[in-house]
Amino acid sequence: MKKKLLFFYLATVIPSVVVSQQPSRTVAGTVTGPEGLVAGVSVTAKVAGSQVATSFSGTYSIIADPQDTLVFNSIGYETQAVPVAGRTTVDVSLTPSTSSLDEVVVVGYGTQTRRNVTGAVAKVDMKQTENLPNTNVSQALRGRVAGVQFIDNGRPGQGGSILIRGQRSLSGGNNPLIIVDGIQFNGSINYLSPSDIQSMEILKDASAAAIYGSRAANGVILVTTKKGTSDKPSITLNANYGLSEWSKRVRLLSPERYLEKTLQMRKILGLDADPSKIREYLAPSEQLNYDAGKTTDPWDAISQQGKLANYDVSISGRTSNSNYYTSASIADDHGLIYGDFHKRHSVRVNIETQLTKWLQTGINASYLRRDLSGVNASIGQAAVASPYGTYYYEDGEPTLNTVEGESNSGNPMRSALLTRNEEIYNNLFSNFYFRIAVPFIKGLEYRLNYSPNYRWDHNYNFFRQDKHISQNTTTANKFFRQDFDWVYENILTYTRKIGERHSLDATLMYGRNHRGVEDTRANANQLSMDALGWNSLELGSLLTNTSSASQEDGVSSMFRLNYGFKDRYFATFTMRRDGSSVFSESHKYAIFPSFSAAWVVSDENFLADHDFVDFIKYRMSYGSVGNQAISRYQSLSLTSTSRYVFGDASPSFVGIFPSSMGNSELKWETTYTLNAALDFELFSQRLSGTIEWYKMNTHDLLVQRSLPTMSGFNSIWTNLGEIQNQGVELSLNTENIRTDAFSWSTNITFSKNSNKIISLYGSDTDNDGKEDDDLGNRWFIGHPIDVFYDFVSDGIYQTDDNIPANYKPGDRRFQDLNDDNKLDASNDRMVVGVGQPKYRLGLGNNISYKNFTFSIFLNSMLEWVGEFRKADPNSNFGGNYPARQLNQFDNGWWTAENKSNTAPSLGYNNPLQSSFYFNRDFIRIQDISLAYSLPENLLSRIHLKGLTLSASAKNLKTFTKWPGSDPESGEAIGFPMPRTISLGCNIVL
Amino acid sequence: MKNLLFSTTFIMMNVCCFLSCKQMSLEEEPLSAVSVTQALSSKSGFDMAITALHQAARDELTKVDLDLFFDMNIGTDVATTGQEPAVNFRNYQTYLTPNNSRFATYWNWAYQEMIMRANTIIAHAQSAENASIWNDEKERNQIVAEARFFRAYAYNLLANLYGGVPLVDTVYNAPKTDFIRADRNTIYQFAKTDLEFASQWLPELVDGNKEGRIVKAAADHLLTEVEISLGDFEASIAAASNVINSGHYQLMTERFGRHTNEPGDVYSDLFRTGNQSRSSGNLESIYVWQFEDQTPGGYGSGNRGNHNLRGWGPFLVMLKDPNGQNGMDVVDSIGRGVGWVRPTNYFLYDLWKEDWNSDIRNSTNNIRRVHYYNNPASSYFGKPVEQRFSLEDTMQNCYPTIRKIEGQLVYDWASNGGRAGQTVSDFMVFRLAATYLLRAEAYLRNGDSFSATQDINKIRERAGATLIDESIISLDFILDERARELIVEEPRRRTLMRMGKLVERTKKYNIRPSTVNTIQDYHELWPIPQSAIDANISAKLEQNPGY
Repeated sequence: MKKKLLFFYLATVIPSVVVSQQPSRTVAGTVTGPEGLVAGVSVTAKVAGSQVATSFSGTYSIIADPQDTLVFNSIGYETQAVPVAGRTTVDVSLTPSTSSLDEVVVVGYGTQTRRNVTGAVAKVDMKQTENLPNTNVSQALRGRVAGVQFIDNGRPGQGGSILIRGQRSLSGGNNPLIIVDGIQFNGSINYLSPSDIQSMEILKDASAAAIYGSRAANGVILVTTKKGTSDKPSITLNANYGLSEWSKRVRLLSPERYLEKTLQMRKILGLDADPSKIREYLAPSEQLNYDAGKTTDPWDAISQQGKLANYDVSISGRTSNSNYYTSASIADDHGLIYGDFHKRHSVRVNIETQLTKWLQTGINASYLRRDLSGVNASIGQAAVASPYGTYYYEDGEPTLNTVEGESNSGNPMRSALLTRNEEIYNNLFSNFYFRIAVPFIKGLEYRLNYSPNYRWDHNYNFFRQDKHISQNTTTANKFFRQDFDWVYENILTYTRKIGERHSLDATLMYGRNHRGVEDTRANANQLSMDALGWNSLELGSLLTNTSSASQEDGVSSMFRLNYGFKDRYFATFTMRRDGSSVFSESHKYAIFPSFSAAWVVSDENFLADHDFVDFIKYRMSYGSVGNQAISRYQSLSLTSTSRYVFGDASPSFVGIFPSSMGNSELKWETTYTLNAALDFELFSQRLSGTIEWYKMNTHDLLVQRSLPTMSGFNSIWTNLGEIQNQGVELSLNTENIRTDAFSWSTNITFSKNSNKIISLYGSDTDNDGKEDDDLGNRWFIGHPIDVFYDFVSDGIYQTDDNIPANYKPGDRRFQDLNDDNKLDASNDRMVVGVGQPKYRLGLGNNISYKNFTFSIFLNSMLEWVGEFRKADPNSNFGGNYPARQLNQFDNGWWTAENKSNTAPSLGYNNPLQSSFYFNRDFIRIQDISLAYSLPENLLSRIHLKGLTLSASAKNLKTFTKWPGSDPESGEAIGFPMPRTISLGCNIVL
Repeated sequence: MKNLLFSTTFIMMNVCCFLSCKQMSLEEEPLSAVSVTQALSSKSGFDMAITALHQAARDELTKVDLDLFFDMNIGTDVATTGQEPAVNFRNYQTYLTPNNSRFATYWNWAYQEMIMRANTIIAHAQSAENASIWNDEKERNQIVAEARFFRAYAYNLLANLYGGVPLVDTVYNAPKTDFIRADRNTIYQFAKTDLEFASQWLPELVDGNKEGRIVKAAADHLLTEVEISLGDFEASIAAASNVINSGHYQLMTERFGRHTNEPGDVYSDLFRTGNQSRSSGNLESIYVWQFEDQTPGGYGSGNRGNHNLRGWGPFLVMLKDPNGQNGMDVVDSIGRGVGWVRPTNYFLYDLWKEDWNSDIRNSTNNIRRVHYYNNPASSYFGKPVEQRFSLEDTMQNCYPTIRKIEGQLVYDWASNGGRAGQTVSDFMVFRLAATYLLRAEAYLRNGDSFSATQDINKIRERAGATLIDESIISLDFILDERARELIVEEPRRRTLMRMGKLVERTKKYNIRPSTVNTIQDYHELWPIPQSAIDANISAKLEQNPGY
């Protein structure tokens, strides 16, 4: 199949090679820009009709008539027409284009200008976040791109999640594909140093993403790293230092409330509850602190000073036939929770050399090391620590429990202090490539990529002897994992202009990829010596080992054709075929086609009279992309092992049992996307933006479908049903004020996404004419994927209410949905909330006055709820134990006196196991920064090209009703979101 | 020159194309996991599969920390919750609901671990592809018999608790969502067929290095109970007699085992760590869950040892001395109970009235009625704990301790409070005393109260209790005797539900008014878990009446 396509392609291309033979002579010259020589400039002789491109060293040589006019055209520069006027040497200096329409956009296996793009491609301007203390990419992009949700979890070095245009997979994974410099990147986005990134493009619709086929259904993020552009080496230094604090603390019981709780709970249990005897109701170890008047806020007990330091340096430039970019960076973050650290070191080298006129070779290579060593204090344990808890013995060693004898009050600091941990992730990612401009066939280029990606990481732990425990408490373990992936691709491109009106470019790709991973874990318990830590596991008296390995292979081919007519009408057709080993025997290959078209309506005559219109383009696309985000071996029926012993002083016996139900029909899921959009620039580019509308239908969803346990298994991977995502996205940029000294611009991103399940199993068991919902998985036809289904809370029973049997005042009241005077699971539960935001909003303002720039960015997500089980006061559901010497989330509680209508009584044991839900809406002042750039005259005096000083604040203030740690991450009681104040300095030499 | 370059390029391109166009295999070979068919294609594979079944079976005790197995006693005639805030069966109507996920745990465990694993072994052992791996029919049937024993065990448990349940006797290779319930009798009947096969093919005894594996007597013992549930008392008596008359088992009457130089008696010897297997001299044990310290597989799920001590032991560390100081330390001899299952006064006092001093099961070796302050920092160190009156002390902190829960603690007991409630003692699931008690029940139900009395007296004689007269034997008396002999060991709730006695006896003997006032006739069966009903989307799984 592939071969045929290739031959077809060559057959159509070769005959069209025409060598012009006209009575003209050769004109040569050099093309330069402000930063040096410019390669790839298209040079056209108007009369002679010939066309060439400048070489890598910016030179060209063209057949032209002596009276000819040469037109120099290049992406990113203003087009220039220069009369030859009898000369044989014509040197030209180009000026950079001011129109964003000429901006280069990376589209996957190539680039285009913004003007020509037909798909939904959002370019992220890394300039926006340049002065902000972001240590990972997702932090930098939060709220900045319409329709893309980057969620940060507040932890150093632990990148959050990325969701493009809503959830479209039930369980196949919703992470977008990341492409770095053209190559599939299987590591996490944390493996990228933000300062190395030149630009990021996000492919949102099927047309743009379909060239990445079976892995592109969740959208694609294209990351382009920096290159050298100036003749003179440019040295950039960046330094950033900041301090952070908790932006919010989850409200636990204060010492006073803790005592109130103790009394109240005893009262409910019918125990002696005399306020004057409160001391007696505390545990003896609490009594000591109570007597001494010593209380501890558990959050204080597990905190450390949060800080971040970020330094990077880069050298870049170009010589006559090569360009280079090298960089090194160090980041050192301290999270807010004790022991939560992140250190990152990275180096990068991007080098490109023109070996001969037609052969170019290059390498992009980066090595990155993340060091997450350190065991963080336990947030969960802190949340139950009594305010009268004891964390340390007199000798400074951590206690076992904060309340002696209360086994649920494990000291949150103990493991952090007694464990030595080394956790390091290494990533070596490189791409070696050759580019050949095929001689004699103008416009035909061949590119070969070979990209190995090596990741290896280890996690070593040593839990030392607890000096207050007589037995040997030591354990040590070593975990080692290595991933080796490679991508190998052949790419042919052909670019040609036919006459004045037609432009054509075609791309053909054939490639293979491989992923492999293996890991080993070794454990030793009760080491006979404390001194060697994890380095000598044979000292342990109980040794165990585990290991695993897996691999997957893929083969891909792709074809794309771009056609332009009169530089006004554009069309793109793409097709990709992917084969993957993870799919079942009968579905190894998939084909994903797409089509898109665009019309630059502002170039039409009927709009020529409207001066306020700079540019208007309509776009439309339709196509399909796949999601193969299931793990390997999911289509097979496999086994797991367990262990047992027989007889006394028994050895260990291995047991084996079926662990999964296989599915020989398992395949990729397919998303069909219809996208329509309008790009506009108005009023001399004072107002510009994009409006997109889309409808995505995902079929053959990869689902880990719950099974009745009677079938022997919990769940099975299967393809079924259909999901629809529909939404609009708006990005708007306005230049409100534009004067020489003062300017004020605003950018707004807004998106709305509605997600619903169209179909599941296609069954209608109860014959009501409606397809069955899947209660087991909480999937309901017509509702979003991520919903909460429960009884409907209706306040609290008060003392004088008419209270049904088995209820008492202070219990929760629920709506009897079918009015049968009985609460039952079949008839009285409904969808009570949605777990994904309906609206996402970002609002940025940039104000410059002379050399000062001030920016403020607000981020908001609206109309969603989160579950908060710990709001349940008692143990049956919430896991709180108010009768014991334990702390808990202070949600308040009903008493006969305070008559709360939201929080039940402490003694409420939640017989229906109904959960608690809170609104997650928030508006956050996410970033504020103030920067000062030294003026030119001062700079030249100190021999610098640039110096910028900045101060910024992150997560300054969040407006929300969510009672948990953070509404964005949705954590109930989890890692806090840091509020960071930092100072930065950027120097260009 | 140019031509040369051109051709080089062309060749390079072609080589590249050739390399990449070469047919690539997308076959999937798992590198570190085997398929079921691969695993079950040799005798050792089947042995491993049986091992995994034993591991699942032990999880009946160890799968969940304080519910599951402990709920087999809490809220019955013999026990209630010790901790005031604990909700287990405190209010039957609010606790025992279809939505309470605790009541899905047994269900899921039975179907997903026991029955599925057993069915897989049974199906593969008898497959045509595997015909050649067996030396003879006996070898194959022994494997099948052990799997069928476990399947019967699971179905009997399900039928006891839920009544009729879906009958699954095969391995599914594709989703199935239209299960329907078979009736309770069908389930018992199915278990009976399995057990008859098991009894026919299982070995009489196993070697010391296989202790814990299922023997014929285990199948006969369980069959005795299942036949009672089916109403076939003759068959029940016959099954029990097969155990009793096999010549392999006897009630222990003399001290034995590893701890004979320590204070104790023959009854306490049965429960000391290391005394449960036959090789220790215990000829009473029939089926024993195995625990082993410091050995992978030696503990159950959640790294749990035998945690009966944690569940049943009083929460002594919460006990303060009269000065308000900690009175008790955690020490390895008594461990750390948390007062989760508090025996009722019916068990602690009423049952022993007639033979308070003579019944060894009530001796200080077996019930610790006096506790001593053991915290050296307390000024009451070494003194007996005086009589207490507060609810917390009498219900949770310091009630008489049933000593069969005591034993050697897991090695890292001191590093974590919960660990100090776990021992490495093996747990006798079936022992001969229970076989006698089952046969007594069958005799009585069959109208032979004389033989029933004889069996009961066998047990009482060993214990030093007064021998009873035929005139006072009744099902209730048998239940009393079962409590005396089998407390902690017996899943009491299942016995009562099987006999239809749960509601009556709980109302009579439980000491929590909220329990007594809320239990209703329909609680003789548990609700079908809502999660099972929800997931079974293609057919309606009927709920039990009342829920």
